[in-house]
Amino acid sequence: MSSGSSGSKALAEFVAEATETLDGLGRELLALDERRGQEPDPAALNAVFRAAHSLKGLAAMFQQDRVTRLAHRAEDVLDRLRLGRLSLSDAVLDALIESVDVFQALLAEASRGEESPELGRRAEAVAQRLGGVGEAVAQAGADPLDRLPLEPSVRAVFTEYEEHRLRENVRRGVPLWRVRAAFDLADFDTGLAELNARLKPLGEVISTLPSAEPGGGTGIAFDLLVGVKAPEAELRAALEGTPAELTALPVREEPQAPPALHRVPEPAPGPGPEDGAGRVEPEGSLRSLTQTVRVDIRRLDGLMNTVGELLLIKANLQRLAESARQEGGAVLSKLWGQELQRESRQLERKLDALQSGLLEARMVPLGQVFDKLARLVRRIAREAGKELELALSGGEVELDKLIVEELSDPLMHIIRNAIDHGVEAPEARARAGKPRRAVLSLSASQKGNHVVIEVGDDGAGLNELRIREVALSRGLITPAQAAEMSRRELLNLIFLPGFSTARSVSELSGRGVGLDVVKNNISNLSGIIDVWSEPGRGTVFTLTLPVTLAIIRALVVGVSGRTYAVPLNSVLEILSVQPADIHTVERREVLDVRGQTLPFTRLSRLFALPERGGPGGRQFAVVVGLAQERMGLAVDELYGQQDIVVKPLGARLQSVRGISGATDLGNRRTVLVLDVAGLMEEGMAGERKRA
Amino acid sequence: MARLSELLDEFFYRPDEDVSALDALLAGGEEVPVAAPEELPQEFLAFELQGECYAVPIGQVREIVKVPPLTELPRAPAHLLGVMNLRGDVMPVYGLKKRLNLVDVPAVRAGPDAVPAPRAARIVVVHGGSEGGAGIWVDAIRDVVRLRPSTLEPAPAGIASGERPAVVGLGRRGPELFILLDLEQALA
Repeated sequence: MSSGSSGSKALAEFVAEATETLDGLGRELLALDERRGQEPDPAALNAVFRAAHSLKGLAAMFQQDRVTRLAHRAEDVLDRLRLGRLSLSDAVLDALIESVDVFQALLAEASRGEESPELGRRAEAVAQRLGGVGEAVAQAGADPLDRLPLEPSVRAVFTEYEEHRLRENVRRGVPLWRVRAAFDLADFDTGLAELNARLKPLGEVISTLPSAEPGGGTGIAFDLLVGVKAPEAELRAALEGTPAELTALPVREEPQAPPALHRVPEPAPGPGPEDGAGRVEPEGSLRSLTQTVRVDIRRLDGLMNTVGELLLIKANLQRLAESARQEGGAVLSKLWGQELQRESRQLERKLDALQSGLLEARMVPLGQVFDKLARLVRRIAREAGKELELALSGGEVELDKLIVEELSDPLMHIIRNAIDHGVEAPEARARAGKPRRAVLSLSASQKGNHVVIEVGDDGAGLNELRIREVALSRGLITPAQAAEMSRRELLNLIFLPGFSTARSVSELSGRGVGLDVVKNNISNLSGIIDVWSEPGRGTVFTLTLPVTLAIIRALVVGVSGRTYAVPLNSVLEILSVQPADIHTVERREVLDVRGQTLPFTRLSRLFALPERGGPGGRQFAVVVGLAQERMGLAVDELYGQQDIVVKPLGARLQSVRGISGATDLGNRRTVLVLDVAGLMEEGMAGERKRA
Repeated sequence: MARLSELLDEFFYRPDEDVSALDALLAGGEEVPVAAPEELPQEFLAFELQGECYAVPIGQVREIVKVPPLTELPRAPAHLLGVMNLRGDVMPVYGLKKRLNLVDVPAVRAGPDAVPAPRAARIVVVHGGSEGGAGIWVDAIRDVVRLRPSTLEPAPAGIASGERPAVVGLGRRGPELFILLDLEQALA
């Protein structure tokens, strides 16, 4: 490993780029995996091959020998696959999928500058497996390419892959077309891209060649060979408005019966995942190894434009300031005032645009995490002996990169739990009259400023009686409390520290890390987690998270002369409270709101501040809510709303409860931001303790 | 006059110009002291707390700032005076007086009931390692002093007692006494 900052920078670049390549590779493999047993999509195969190829090149450039070796082996197998010399059997696919995990582990070690011998052996084992798997496809009969009306000069320039795809199309009887199009030299690239985009949905663009026939004085012509199953009329309609001419490439009749695909009998499956050596450690984190966010250049262009306009406004403001200075003590004209006001409004608008643009640039689709989880689900299910189908939806929902990163580990934990404890074994499911294959669903949807992620299974569900029993035996609740608890409250006991219903400590989830850690992780993201379960029908974990943590809108309130900011996304309403509205139930204050009682917490008491009260004994209740919980927070003053940038309190102050960070309201005074989820939990816990 | 020459010494002293050994050699002295020149004086930042003079190794100090408005953190430990905003970063500010038994009840330095900071008071910002930076309230900054490690004394018995001794030693320069602090212990 090279030392020094240039070395580590290069390494960081390598890890960032390799991770991106690997993500793409994993995604395409997953697509192939989902359609297991069917004819693999040639475009997907080719994409995986290209990814492996670039990974190899990248690793070789940065002297990452272990990655290079494995990538080389994977590339080799994939090359044979895409050229049809090898068929995609389950063993090949499994080996490839496992190689992705090993790549990930290799990159993780590389980013830490380590090279552990165990991982080296594992990489070697996977490489061996990749080398040994697969069945060769025997080619028989005459070359179908001979049956195409193609000039030898054209045939000579085909790549091996193009030849293979042409053969495949002929073999399957897909009609082949020659699309000839001439473009102006100035913009042929856009024309060609458009043509490709139109052809793609209809079939496969096998080859793009410069045409033998000249395309006019300043033009260039191309021959595209495409295989299109759709009827000719549809193809012609799709090419409407482009300079393309369509010519059919008739396939000459075959002299004898079509050659059947002879498959070499499948060899005994290679060492499976159950084999200790090649096993991937389940506790590996799914977090990205890189802090890089990929941003569409158009988004950056938009930001750049906004900055340009801000500079214009700055120039205008300078001019106004200059004219004010020159007039000296004289009363400024009305016109000057109007102009200043206009400029400041412009400034505000542009700053808004800049802010939202920057936030957008931080957004990444949740699908990035979902893809990684999907790979994991397959492996865990196999190891746990469960038959499982994963239903993903909402992968396009976007969240702040920071949140997406922090989410992957808690989600992984919940999913492990679901597979390990939630879903029954296939035989048990069959006995219960359920399909053998369980369904695990992972879905995301956006609701206003929040994103809701649901992890559901159709397993046995949570047993609240057993939960109660365990909570009682561990002393987490008293019998009196247990008697009063609703089903939802009982279910939510599983998030308490020290709780675990797993009778047998399973290899998968029994690592001493419970759901309380998951809950903590989610709380740190200002999110909440909730669980609901129907006996025999399944369990659903619901995570509600803010879209971004970077800039949020906040309500600024005053309590005992102190100022605090409350994130507006958790504020439901604000009530003016008269002393008569406050009642006590078992010495606990509640608020009567439109005939409903609401837990009422005085921030001043919670924070042990001297109680001052607003002018005239007036008080406000800020009603905060997350998921189904509601609580009224008593404050003395309301100062208004403001966009704030929340800064973390730092490592030294991690143990401070009820505060999620600090912000600056523009007067150089630091204002604390309330952790609503934490405060609510505290308020509710107080209730439980008192009960 | 002794004080003046001492001051000049401190001002002009360069370890590589230390030729006392050579002088001794030229004078024909038999016993040549060899080991001494390696000892470089260490620099400490000296500051005042409740009239006493304390010092910390200067390498631990990041910067010294005037006391900004501090924000109190509810339910925080007593020695945490509050948080401040240092060029956009939130930084905790600690008071050591209670920890060092200089006062029984530390003054409130943050929030609406805060006692205004004296003009000479400063916040010493320390690097703080993995825990992150932290500010330390001092009543006044004295000086940067150079002390030779060999002249440092261990803390006298009875002061260094306690589970986590914050006072690690004493340094002397002429009549002045500096109480040397271990910041990590003091902040823990």
